[in-house]
Amino acid sequence: MNLLDVSNLHASVATDAGPQPILKGLNLTVKPGEVHAIMGPNGSGKSTLANVLSGRPGYAVDDGEAVLDGRNLLDLEPFERAQIGMFLAFQYPVEIPGVSNMEFLKASIDSLARARGEEQPNTANFMRQVRELAGSLDLDPAFLKRGVNEGFSGGEKKRNEIMQLLLLNPKLALLDETDSGLDIDALKTVADGVNRYRSQSNGVVLITHYQRLLDYIVPDYVHVLSNGQIIESGDKGLALELEAKGYAWLT
Amino acid sequence: MADLALPQTLTLPEDFASALGEPVATLDEVVQQALNSAAHRERWKYTKADRFLAQTSEPASPPQITGERQTGVSWQRQPIAQPMSGLDLQQAPEAFARLCFAGEAMRLDITAPVSEPITLVHSENTLPVMIHVSANASLSLIEIIDGHDEMQQSVWIDIGPNAQVLHSRNALNDTPASWQYLNVRLQDAARYRLNNHALGCGIRRQDLHIIMDGQGAEAKLVSAGMVDNKAALDQQITMEHRQPKGHSEQTIHNIVANGGKCTFNGRIHIHEGASGTDAQLSNKNLGMGDNATINTKPELEIYTDDVSCSHGATVGTLSKEALFYLTSRGIDQAAAQALLSQGFLRQCIDGPLAATALEAMIGPQNTSDEH
Repeated sequence: MNLLDVSNLHASVATDAGPQPILKGLNLTVKPGEVHAIMGPNGSGKSTLANVLSGRPGYAVDDGEAVLDGRNLLDLEPFERAQIGMFLAFQYPVEIPGVSNMEFLKASIDSLARARGEEQPNTANFMRQVRELAGSLDLDPAFLKRGVNEGFSGGEKKRNEIMQLLLLNPKLALLDETDSGLDIDALKTVADGVNRYRSQSNGVVLITHYQRLLDYIVPDYVHVLSNGQIIESGDKGLALELEAKGYAWLT
Repeated sequence: MADLALPQTLTLPEDFASALGEPVATLDEVVQQALNSAAHRERWKYTKADRFLAQTSEPASPPQITGERQTGVSWQRQPIAQPMSGLDLQQAPEAFARLCFAGEAMRLDITAPVSEPITLVHSENTLPVMIHVSANASLSLIEIIDGHDEMQQSVWIDIGPNAQVLHSRNALNDTPASWQYLNVRLQDAARYRLNNHALGCGIRRQDLHIIMDGQGAEAKLVSAGMVDNKAALDQQITMEHRQPKGHSEQTIHNIVANGGKCTFNGRIHIHEGASGTDAQLSNKNLGMGDNATINTKPELEIYTDDVSCSHGATVGTLSKEALFYLTSRGIDQAAAQALLSQGFLRQCIDGPLAATALEAMIGPQNTSDEH
């Protein structure tokens, strides 16, 4: 069975001037164990795809469907999508003062466990696991007591996203420009985290501007998104070609 | 609008009146005028003053105290013989009236650094409390407003040079009307911190007048309020910088929900000559539920150059971005809203009374978690 099936997806974003169509018949299939990279010029719809699949308010689906592990995603609230295994690593993770990272992570893992009829992890074990994960991503465990992403550098925010990915272990990871704003060491740390997450039972959709990330997270497929549709697909060689030639030869 | 009137004619010892510089014969008139001045009307714009004024002449008894039997502490009941240092008849005529009607006050003297906190519990109308902290002394003061009848408290604190007061106050009781008047004067290099936690009630009024009356004084106010189920809270703060190089910082977060009504007025007054002053004020209000009324007004009056001053007030709802972030991790909408509103208040809940305040304001806390 396919992990993710997106077919003929049309979606628009709400603007002051009315709905603006962005996705115009997008198709994408991800099988378990696969990593798909989605590249494309600014404004092609990359982030809209991530937002529509994760259920961010402000977007409307006009046609098509998206099925995750046999469930129609587009009918579900964002928290329900997460509960069936969807994870979005945010391009701009939000700062939430007053809610500690630890409290947030515990609320998240408890919600997911409850929804799946699993036992909620015991607090001591959970905290040990989180500290270990934080350490493995070069995050100072002291951050767990601070507000969610509060006062974090751009790199720390992205590493926190990957920490959550490893902790929550979703079926599908959607990474929205997780590489943006990272120096090379942080990029390697983040890539290493994603590679640790990868398994034969889950999938990754990697949205990126740059080929550089794909040196560290090697994709099975590379797709080029342009004007709301995937116009070209290939293997990792396509990313190198794009790096050399730009997008103009395709569009 | 009918004139505001005192419930009785003021009487007070002659030496007290002469020390005030006001002739006894016309004092009643002076107070009456202050009550009806435009500035005073403005301070009582959203809360009816009549009920609070009527209560000023009601009998009062001493608050319960613990921790007073320490070296460097004295606690006694005494007649009001001279005006307290922060007294401003125009600013607080009703607080002045309370003093006159009571005729006596509880005096707390702190003459050394005091190791154990001193706790005052007010479970009814209490006598005015006057706290004098000597130079270099320090005090941790805990104040709990309790009880279910209409009640008033007035507390006057004078902090000597280089002395320090950490003040924590919980006003979490349910009563038809409750008024806390607090006046704090800081001398040279004195430090004062107030952690205030308030629940709305029938109508809760909190007046705070801080006077930076010495060079390099530091005052910090952190306050969290929850006004739910048609309750009301009215907070009026005046921060006066009279001397140079003072530093004041105020952070006030209030949640107003389900028909609650919250009024906030934060005035920063920087006098001529108070150069090098640094004064910050931030008041954030979160409206929740079907209906909430929020009035907020930050005010600045600056009469000197060379100051750093900022103030801001916001009225908003929960951040949609933050809600989406939490729900995208599997947390349902209601739980995400609860986390966010708790986080909003928790930023302003601190000090020795924090645990009780958290419990009363945002429900039982799981103490095994690290926050």
